[in-house]
Amino acid sequence: MDARLSPHGKTASRVGAARVGIGGPVGSGKTALIERLIPAFAARGVSLAIVTNDLVTAEDAERIRRSGLIDPARVAAVEAGACPHTVIREDPTLNIAAADELEARFPDAELILIESGGDNLASTFSLDLVDWWMFVIDVAGGDDIPRKNGPGVLKCDLLVVNKTDLAPYVGVDLPRMEAEATAARGGRPIVLTNCRKAEGIEAIADKILSAVLFR
Amino acid sequence: MSAAGGLGLLVALQHGDSQFPSGGFAFSQGLEASSQLAERLGAFDFAGFMRAQIRHRWAEADRVALVRAHRLRGDLARLAALDREVEASTLVEGLRAGSRRNGAALLTTHARIGTPGAAAYRAMLRDGAAPGHLAVVQGLLWQALGLDEATAVAISGYQAAASLATAAVRLGLVGAIEAQAELARMLPLIETGSAAPVADDEPIRSFIPLAEIAVALHGAAGQRLFSN
Repeated sequence: MDARLSPHGKTASRVGAARVGIGGPVGSGKTALIERLIPAFAARGVSLAIVTNDLVTAEDAERIRRSGLIDPARVAAVEAGACPHTVIREDPTLNIAAADELEARFPDAELILIESGGDNLASTFSLDLVDWWMFVIDVAGGDDIPRKNGPGVLKCDLLVVNKTDLAPYVGVDLPRMEAEATAARGGRPIVLTNCRKAEGIEAIADKILSAVLFR
Repeated sequence: MSAAGGLGLLVALQHGDSQFPSGGFAFSQGLEASSQLAERLGAFDFAGFMRAQIRHRWAEADRVALVRAHRLRGDLARLAALDREVEASTLVEGLRAGSRRNGAALLTTHARIGTPGAAAYRAMLRDGAAPGHLAVVQGLLWQALGLDEATAVAISGYQAAASLATAAVRLGLVGAIEAQAELARMLPLIETGSAAPVADDEPIRSFIPLAEIAVALHGAAGQRLFSN
């Protein structure tokens, strides 16, 4: 046997910016959440970079670059090859490489947000890619989403229920939806947001600061 | 395989498996563009596209770069020179950038799992000392893992065809079962292409003009599922 074929040792550890995933179905408000989080982190003195995974080319990345909220060079786009699950879970190498590149170009970066392409409730992040991740759903998607026990809802570190302002218009009992989500997640954290009015954003920024950046 | 017994075969299976994280799923090598631009560029059929890719790109360019990289036995400076030759011989930006990104993604996995040479070559990429084209990176890594030249070529050829078949399924061009039939029909072509001798200074050349035009047009259009 060739000695070089011996099983490898442990995987190498990584030192660098913390990486936070933001997943969730199409239209739930992931990009809007990022647009609100950018100033929230700036106010907290956190140096930020962003990777987006777009289903089609670089639509979300361009939206964030043009927002005027962040240096466009700090935003990288990764195409998902029609596989939004794969690019954050089974094969996160393109995202890891993009985050590594941002880290090399901006050594001051403390936090890299990685937005998944719009996906469904089965979507989860590989811990090879991120240190911590949240999953964004919205009330207009239906109040039965937490009851469906999708891995995204159950396994994320933080569940974000967005577009709370729409609840009365789509027949959603928001307190019940929150209670059912809390029960489904065994009491793990949930934040209700209305990204349009920046409601709930400070709570998410504080949560990331304490859970990921240990501040 | 240079390794005796079944371990070499198992290592080859591990590294030929599409589940091995390499970023390869995000690239269609012009298949998406060619299929969508068929009305402008002439008739398109998947089998013909795959044949052209294997015969006129993989066999004459990717395979040659892989074999030459494998023979350099981890000499990173000479690998970087070969890498630059691949860069110079790949005409279209979309295919050139895709090959670099795919190579960097494969290196990412190998650097994390500790394959010899991976971290050092990755550092050269980061410093701008090497572009990191996929075939060169594969030659470096698979040689370092003890896979012999013929096995490395077989994995490369199989992956080139299989990744096109997978992309075709995701693009809705063929069904998943028909894709396997197409892949099976491609295997003898890969075997034939593998048999051609490669000199140590063999030129890297490909001739896929329609696919290259399609990628160039598609890149400018901006709306696509795959990276190329």
